[in-house]
Amino acid sequence: MQKTAAILAMMLGGGLCLAGERSGKAEVDLISSASAYQAGHPLMVGVRMKIDPGWHTYWTNPGEGGMPISVKWKLPEGWEAGPVLHPVPISFKTGDLPGYGYEGQVILPVFLTPGPEGGGKVSLAAEVAWLTCDDSACVPGDATLSLDLDAGAGEPTPEAVEIEAALDRVPQPMDGASLVVKEEAGKLLLTARLPAELDASGASWMPATPSVVDLAEPIQAVRDGDSWTATVKKHEYASGPATALELVLSGGKLQAPLLLSWEKDP
Amino acid sequence: MKMKSLMGCLAAGFVALSSALAVEPGDTAPAFTLTSVKGESVSLADYAGKIVVLEWTNHDCPFVKKFYSGGDMQKLQETYTGKGVVWLTIQTGQEGKFPTAEKLAELTEKAGGKATAVLRDVGGAVGKSYDAKTTPHMFVIGKDGKVAYAGGIDDKKDTNPESIPGAKNFVVAALDALLAGKAVEVTKAEPYGCGVKY
Repeated sequence: MQKTAAILAMMLGGGLCLAGERSGKAEVDLISSASAYQAGHPLMVGVRMKIDPGWHTYWTNPGEGGMPISVKWKLPEGWEAGPVLHPVPISFKTGDLPGYGYEGQVILPVFLTPGPEGGGKVSLAAEVAWLTCDDSACVPGDATLSLDLDAGAGEPTPEAVEIEAALDRVPQPMDGASLVVKEEAGKLLLTARLPAELDASGASWMPATPSVVDLAEPIQAVRDGDSWTATVKKHEYASGPATALELVLSGGKLQAPLLLSWEKDP
Repeated sequence: MKMKSLMGCLAAGFVALSSALAVEPGDTAPAFTLTSVKGESVSLADYAGKIVVLEWTNHDCPFVKKFYSGGDMQKLQETYTGKGVVWLTIQTGQEGKFPTAEKLAELTEKAGGKATAVLRDVGGAVGKSYDAKTTPHMFVIGKDGKVAYAGGIDDKKDTNPESIPGAKNFVVAALDALLAGKAVEVTKAEPYGCGVKY
């Protein structure tokens, strides 16, 4: 069965298939949404990670005992990389330590902008490092990934759909949606105001900023008109008063994951 | 690097409820008696009046390897035991699921460990009394028997030994302050690493 699947994968991969780099408990590769790049036009690429069954890797807020995925770019002169985008994670417990991350496959989309000039073939490279854990062990992995691209109009690659799908799962801010955090006696009062057309019933609330909110209990939000409030325990190791928080709302009746950001007034 | 990264890490635990009361800086360090890998009985009380470091470890954990592969932890142990500090390295685990005393002694020998003693916390009672969460997880106890520092070894939460020179090492800061008779500035920081395997 496994052999058949492997052969099938090879056939489907065809000539375009570049083997991913295997390290630790995952296989990673760098994929592009287009077969070529155009000077000055952003190009969407993705770091694709296939994690071995039973293992998980970590989100920007890894929770306790994990480690976020690190991506360091080596790009041609003049190229710039946007932030590494993270799709909505799952929550889990590793032993008794709560955390957020990914199982199975995850693609982290990134927009790269080529310099305004130049052309010809380029080589894009990224050094990726991550940690995978299961209930009994943690194993790190690292790989240097590369992707060669020609200049030109190009065409969507077979991977473009996969990167797009991952991008759809990346939480986005929305006009009219806001977050306010107030601190009282070691507790944080989170108030999210959402546009009337959004119904966040049943959505999971996940702090994307590490070490602000205690993760031992899931966040329970209560609706009052267009505001949604939740009282949460402050993270044990929060350094000083809370000054910023990014919060992801996902699932339930929400069509798409939402990113709410708060910064304390200076 | 890659070869090392392929080795497993016995880490996170299976205990479902562990909201043990965390030891806070300023609290009296919980007493304990454990058996060292050399078969000696070691009690915290044996070192009353001394500065004591507790280092939770697990040789297979990549965060522990970060500090042992380049000799950084061993150097800290050597430096501070040389200044009269007692350094106790502790591994928590369930019997049969973590290294035997012989194996742990061998791993310590091979790594060139310079701790005062290496202790096995079979069943995890001592780890729970300190709420040791990760490997490494560090506790510094002052001459007064009170916890002076509890938390991560430094502020670079990664597995990369190259981050060590630029990191702020909280254990070094706490020990230097205590040895100089000064107040410890950072008494608590988030522990990071693999979960302790309860």
